[in-house]
This record gives sequence, structure tokens and C-alpha cells, in this order.
Amino acid sequence: MVGMSLLRSVAAIAARLTPVKSGNAATNLLVRTIPRTEKVAVRWGHGKKMFVIKPTEFYDKRFLRLLQFYILLTGIPVAIIVTSVNLFIGEAELVETPEGYEPEHWEYYKHPITRWITRNVFDSPVKDYEKMMAAIQIEKEKADMRLAQLEVRRHMRRRGDGPWFQIETLDKNLIDSSPKATPDN
Amino acid sequence: MPSDFDKDAYPEPPRQTPVVDKKTALPNPALILSKLFYYSVDLPVTTFREVVESIQAKNKSVYYHQKFRRVPDLTQCEYGDYLCYYEAEMQWRRDYKVDQEIVKVIQERLRACQQREGHSYKQNCSKEIEQFDEVSKNYTSRYGDLGAYASGRKCLMKQKERMMEAAQKQND
Repeated sequence: MVGMSLLRSVAAIAARLTPVKSGNAATNLLVRTIPRTEKVAVRWGHGKKMFVIKPTEFYDKRFLRLLQFYILLTGIPVAIIVTSVNLFIGEAELVETPEGYEPEHWEYYKHPITRWITRNVFDSPVKDYEKMMAAIQIEKEKADMRLAQLEVRRHMRRRGDGPWFQIETLDKNLIDSSPKATPDN
Repeated sequence: MPSDFDKDAYPEPPRQTPVVDKKTALPNPALILSKLFYYSVDLPVTTFREVVESIQAKNKSVYYHQKFRRVPDLTQCEYGDYLCYYEAEMQWRRDYKVDQEIVKVIQERLRACQQREGHSYKQNCSKEIEQFDEVSKNYTSRYGDLGAYASGRKCLMKQKERMMEAAQKQND
């Protein structure tokens, strides 16, 4: 770029020093100071000039440009990270479990990114298993309690007596216990 | 990177390259091409791999094979013991995966044998073919049409059907 401007400046100086004639082919390309009207270099100058009318490509091009931008915004960092992990931190090797050693849950995976994810993001599979078992235990207790409740309800209703079921009787204050005239009232 | 295959499982036949006995002074085009391939493809790739491995050797890590304890089966669980059901189901799923991998290994052996022998595979690989037939028959009889929602319960019911058919056939 610097060389081009140098060349242009040299050509301008050469044009000023040597008087320009029409047929001076060497300076045709580089001179901008002296316009000449007799013979103008015309590039791509053949064929009929057309004014091409076509529908606007602005919106389509804008969409594709934005798509490319937003995909590459995270795509390039992810690609760089994954490539560098694969190049500089290799995959793990399979070895026999040493005696008396309990490996951590992430040490059962091969790829370093998987290891990182299972170490920092996910719970260990043992913990997941226990969580599931705890959920099953809670549901089992709920189901047992519901069955027991139905059983107890059935018993109380059959006996007609219990904290959950009473057969309504008359109020004892309605009973007139004053002495009556005849014994069979 | 995938490791090299097990050399004992897929034995290569002994090499039969003849001793070089040049009778002409013309250069051997096969030799030229092989050297060209070596210098243009093999050597750069190998050196790149060695460079990468030397960088990776500093942060080497290991991984282990997880061994699970055996837990009571579905048939050994009390009725209504949902925890036992869950553990048996998980064990059944792990065994299902293991069986799938076994079938894959046998398939791979048969494929390798066919590739090695070429057109005469039907005769030379009879042991692999027999092994594959037996393994696939057992796999279909055990896990055959269980489908995507397969479970230990359904597999047990399938086994019950099998046993009933066997008893029926014995009675006839």
C-alpha cells in the first residue's frame, strides 16, 4: 500500500517534469493530475450498456449477513476452545483401577470436556441415583399412607364411631328428664 | 483418537511379498508412487501427530472402567418394594447395554473376517459365522421385540412366555 502511493507520487512528479504528450503510454496508468480528453482509457468498455432492473437484495443479504454474524459470534470461540482442548489437553487413557482406590465420578470419562462438565456442572451419578431413590421412597410412603387412610376410614365408618366419622344423635339437652306422670313415657 | 484394534482378535495373514529381483533398468513406478505418498502425506501427518502427542504428554490423565455391584434381581424383590424394583431395573438396563456391545463386537469380528478373506469368506470364516449366529439368536430370543420402552418387567414376561412355550412343547 505504501509502495503504491510512492509509485503514484513518483509518477505525478515524472508527469510534471516531462511534458505530457498524447501517446505517452507509460504514464497513462498512473497520472491523475493532468486530465486528457482526446484518448481516454476505457476499461470493460464493450457491449451495450444496460440498466439492470431486479428486485432488491437488501433484505436477503442483510438476513444472511446477520445470520453469519450471530452464528460466528459464539461459533468461533467454541471452535477455538474445542480445537485447543483437543490439541493441548489430550483424551485420557484407560487403565486398570488400582487396588483400594475409589475413582471420583468424573474419572470414568474419556474426553476432557466431558470430564469437566461432569465435574463442575452435573451431579455425580451416585447422587442422581440416590435422589431418584429418595423420590421413590417419598412416593411409596405417600401411597402407603393413602391406603392406610382408606383402610382406617372404612373401619371407622363400619363401626360408626371414630374421630373421622360420627353418626349424629339427638342433642342431650332436648331430653326431658323431669319426673313424668306415668312410668312409660 | 481411536486406539489401534486388538491384533490377536483380528490376525493378519502372513505377508507374501516376493524378494525384489530387478531385471530391467527402468525405474519402478510403484516404488516412485509409494515414496511420493510417503513424503507428501505420511511424513507430515506423522510428524504433526508426534508434535501434538508431545504437547499432550504433559497433561496426561487417566480414566477407569466402572464396575457396578450386583443387586437383587426383579424376581428376588418383595411385592411393593419399589426401591428394589428401581435397583433391579437399573441393573437390567446396564446388562442390556452390555449385551448390545457384545453383539456389536461379534459383528465387528465377522465383518473384519469377511474383509480379510474376500470372496472365500463363507468357507474360511465359518467359526465367526457360527459365533455370530448363536449370539444373535440368543439376543433376539431374550431382547427381541421389546421395543423402545423395554424394561426389566417386560423382559421377564417375555422369558415367562418362552418358558411356557418350552413346557408346552415338552408336554406335547
